[in-house]
Amino acid sequence: MKTMGWWLMVVCALSLSVSTQEGNEGSAATAIRAREREWVVAQSRNDNRALDLIFDDSLVYVEYGRLVTKGDYLSRIKRATAQLSQIVMEPMAVRTFGSTAIAVGIYRERTVQEGKVRVKRWRFIDTWVYKKGSWVLVAAGAAPLTE
Amino acid sequence: MRTVTLVMLLACTGTPAIFAQGLSDLDVTTKIVAMEHMWSQAYVLKDPKALERILDDAFVNVESDGKVITKADVLAEVTKSSVLQVLTESMVVRLHGDTAIVTGVVLIKGLERGKAFAQRERFVDTWLYKNGQWVTIAGLVTPIRE
Repeated sequence: MKTMGWWLMVVCALSLSVSTQEGNEGSAATAIRAREREWVVAQSRNDNRALDLIFDDSLVYVEYGRLVTKGDYLSRIKRATAQLSQIVMEPMAVRTFGSTAIAVGIYRERTVQEGKVRVKRWRFIDTWVYKKGSWVLVAAGAAPLTE
Repeated sequence: MRTVTLVMLLACTGTPAIFAQGLSDLDVTTKIVAMEHMWSQAYVLKDPKALERILDDAFVNVESDGKVITKADVLAEVTKSSVLQVLTESMVVRLHGDTAIVTGVVLIKGLERGKAFAQRERFVDTWLYKNGQWVTIAGLVTPIRE
């Protein structure tokens, strides 16, 4: 019976943590916005260690019809030259569903290629999941805005 | 002790979806894959009813041109669909408790203004176990350029 009691306590602790998330939607949205900014900063600094903490191990990223895994993404950042591209976030919408959140927004990407400056706007949609005490990115995708 | 156990059980109303459903990961995956197929078929059959239950009211999808569409937009789009066939080339479901991420590639064939078209697309969808059922809350579609 003691074992049963312990098991229930563990399950209760899990569910209470989810309930806390549900009852705290405003702060969850704030946390997601902060995570999105951390991602941009980490990427601009080619900081793979920070990105490793932001991305879930099973992250899937989709752009231009390609599927990119966490490993692919991190090795791409490692190869990239820092500061060659600059990302500026525009206001985003965050909707939380308990321990899951969807962020939709636009970012501007400024790149310099062969001395030419190019600015492209992208619409992104990201899925965050609250795991082991922090929000991690499990899926993301972006499509270039045609204006 | 019985009272304590009962109180604890009542307090555990928000347990993760897998416990609540009593389903294995494989069962959940099969269920979600079946709903993805229903979603595709809704376009072929021009049947928005099937999507009413699958799409959450807060559903948003990012289209290949960067536009964001809502559940209402999808339901309206389905009735005017020019899709004749959707072939699923691949589909992978990744489970994260009460959230599932589905990625895949579909080949869409149809007829638009009398002209046949075929388009391969990669998608990523987010599903959520909500109020006792799986619903999709977000998606992104992007064309595959060969």
